[in-house]
Amino acid sequence: MKTGSVANSYLYLISTSGRNRLLTLLRRARSPRYGAALVVGAVYIWAFLVRPANTTGATTFLLGRTSEMIVTLLAVITLMGSWLFGSDITALAFSQAEVSFLFPAPVTRRSLIVYKLMRAQVAVLVNALIWVFVLRRGGTALPSPLRAVSLWILFSTLNFHRLGAALVRASVRAHGGVGARRTRTSIVAFALVGAALVGGALAHRAELRAASDPTTFLSSLGHVLAQPPAYWGLYPFHLVVAPTFARSVAEWGRLIGPAVAVMLLHAWWVLHTDAAFEDAALEASAERAKRAEAMRSRRSIMATSVPRAPTSTLPLAAHGHPSLAILWKNTLCLRRTAQLRVFVGPVIMAALLGSAFGSGLPTRTKVAMSALVLAGMLIIFGGRLIRNDLRQDMQHLPLLKTLPIAPSHIVLAEVASAAIPMTIVQIVLVAIAFVAFIGGHGAPFGTGTRLALLISSPAALLAINGALVTSQNATAVLFPAWIRLGPAVTTGVETLGQNVLATAANLLSLVVSLVLPAAAGWGILALASSARASALVIAVIVGAIILAAETYAAMSYLGHALARAEPAQT
Amino acid sequence: MIGVRALTKLYGSFTAVRSISFDVGPGEILGLVGPNGAGKTTTLRCVAGIISPSRGEVTIAGHDTRKDPVSAKRALAFIPDEPHLFEYLTVDEHLRFIARLYGVLDIDARLPPLLAELELSEKRRALPGELSRGMRQKLAIACGLLHDPTALILDEPLTGLDPGGIRRMRETIAARASSGAAVILSSHLLNLVEEMCTKLLVLRRGECVAYGTLSEIISTRPELVNRSLEDVFLELTRDDTVAR
Repeated sequence: MKTGSVANSYLYLISTSGRNRLLTLLRRARSPRYGAALVVGAVYIWAFLVRPANTTGATTFLLGRTSEMIVTLLAVITLMGSWLFGSDITALAFSQAEVSFLFPAPVTRRSLIVYKLMRAQVAVLVNALIWVFVLRRGGTALPSPLRAVSLWILFSTLNFHRLGAALVRASVRAHGGVGARRTRTSIVAFALVGAALVGGALAHRAELRAASDPTTFLSSLGHVLAQPPAYWGLYPFHLVVAPTFARSVAEWGRLIGPAVAVMLLHAWWVLHTDAAFEDAALEASAERAKRAEAMRSRRSIMATSVPRAPTSTLPLAAHGHPSLAILWKNTLCLRRTAQLRVFVGPVIMAALLGSAFGSGLPTRTKVAMSALVLAGMLIIFGGRLIRNDLRQDMQHLPLLKTLPIAPSHIVLAEVASAAIPMTIVQIVLVAIAFVAFIGGHGAPFGTGTRLALLISSPAALLAINGALVTSQNATAVLFPAWIRLGPAVTTGVETLGQNVLATAANLLSLVVSLVLPAAAGWGILALASSARASALVIAVIVGAIILAAETYAAMSYLGHALARAEPAQT
Repeated sequence: MIGVRALTKLYGSFTAVRSISFDVGPGEILGLVGPNGAGKTTTLRCVAGIISPSRGEVTIAGHDTRKDPVSAKRALAFIPDEPHLFEYLTVDEHLRFIARLYGVLDIDARLPPLLAELELSEKRRALPGELSRGMRQKLAIACGLLHDPTALILDEPLTGLDPGGIRRMRETIAARASSGAAVILSSHLLNLVEEMCTKLLVLRRGECVAYGTLSEIISTRPELVNRSLEDVFLELTRDDTVAR
């Protein structure tokens, strides 16, 4: 078959699928609930992205040189995650329909990779568009179309790199030593980048240690990354990142050529690293199908969790409240599908930020800061990473609806399934921070206040996690046709923009629900001007109770919605 | 045991099921037949409480599915044509999960014979992804039968089963009916329906075109006397057939 006609058929498949999907989503807006959500979403997008805004210090920093180096570093760290921990097999996954129609078709395996690259462009383009609006607030002289081109090149390159890493890993796994030898150039190049970064950090560790505050630390980090050997390791990635941070059209014109060259080099690399692709893709697709046969896979690049063969189980008593069985089931789900690699990024970020906040202070203070930062990051991102709740179980709606349990109890058990493990991890982190602060310097509060926060943190964290998870479950129950259901956690950089929007909306809902609890807590603190520590404990716990009550009311509403939900809507 | 009155299901302006009424008493097996798109699965899902009827009333073991859904569901088992299983629970864990939900206290005693009967003993620690299509269907059936339901709804229950499994499933359905369960069986296998069902409900385009025992149905259509069930079915579901 001619290459042109194959590419045309791929384009036809992608464009018609996209158009039909969009029309299906929009048709949903005819129902009042979806229509209202569309209006709210449009207002949110307008307020978050489109609304005119003035240049601020924060956005100027966003496009500064230090940010440029740090973004480059974060991009490389993200890609290293693909190499080391592997988003590998699922980056190659095709849907069952694609396997059925494309694999037996008279097309080359290389053209199938071209199809993967073309299909990923939909997510890349949407993400680039979101970031154009976000960075537009930086108020630089660079016109939006040029920034859009820069972002498209950046995200496309990262996408190519991720797919290339997946293909190398697949080749090594499938062919062992032969596969490693075949892809040795890629492996050596990756190893050199890693060595350059580690070498840079070691060579300039004194400069990093000398930083006395977060701002100085970030500046030092930017400076270290701009020096050899780290600079050499980051260089090719920096070439791709640089046009996005260009300050003028002339500078952009100078930078865009090398960026395009790096992107094309990545495309060439991917297209010539196709060994073992077909087997790996089939394996990936089969595992995806096995994992969630009811899941309508709409995304090409996603991190998914394949249930691990069980080596142990948890006991379940034959008697007791039935909703505890849902909690038991979802805990097993978490144990067997948890993707530890998705936590690598937050842990590295927390360590970096903890070091920045603890600059110039003892190591134990840095540990405490890192633990607190990680606990905070889990509040913000934990709900995205742990999905053993209705975001998975809405795929089993017909089964859920035949169970002899009140729908509101199902919602409560599902929310608890995700909120409780997050809370346990956060409590451990808070306890680590408390212990690490003892006898150290630089603690943000006095011992009494820290003890009060330690005592009240379980209630507060559980209430906050419950509220956030409830809001995420609400989207699954109320708008199942508009959101992605299933265990998969999207981790690709090319979906970063969408994830930022979703996370911001989630936090906005938390802020709204915190108004009443915060007012009550503030009132208690104002009334009890003496004995501040005990008042703080009471204030936090009362606030947590109010937030929990609000969340419970939301869960009851969701229970009604779940009772009315029909499989045809998912 | 299962009572359905004037059941109607609308999707926007489209009527999927229009004013259907029927009863299935203890020991009876109702065969639900009709061409593709006739409304069989919609009817079964309304009765099982998976979707809400737009109009009408469904009772299971005396419990209105709208007013007292939990009690109604406790008496019911719905076995769909496509097994819905949790990918991260083993065979054994699925059954323990269902046992807890339905209050089956003697699960430890019940499990071994049930697994042996369904030839799943060696797979009790396997995840659904490690099971064949037929074994997954057997597991779904086991989950449905575990709590001894008094109302049993089966949508194409033999899909994916091997000949031995099909025979055992037929025996199981008959045994459940004999022990007093009300059974609704939807299937395109007309010989199965003819052999097992005590009465028939024939649907076409969401409407009931025939209801009763086979002899009752034929008695209203003299031209169908001495014809096979397949001929009766095709005649009743022809597009120009007028409901009687």
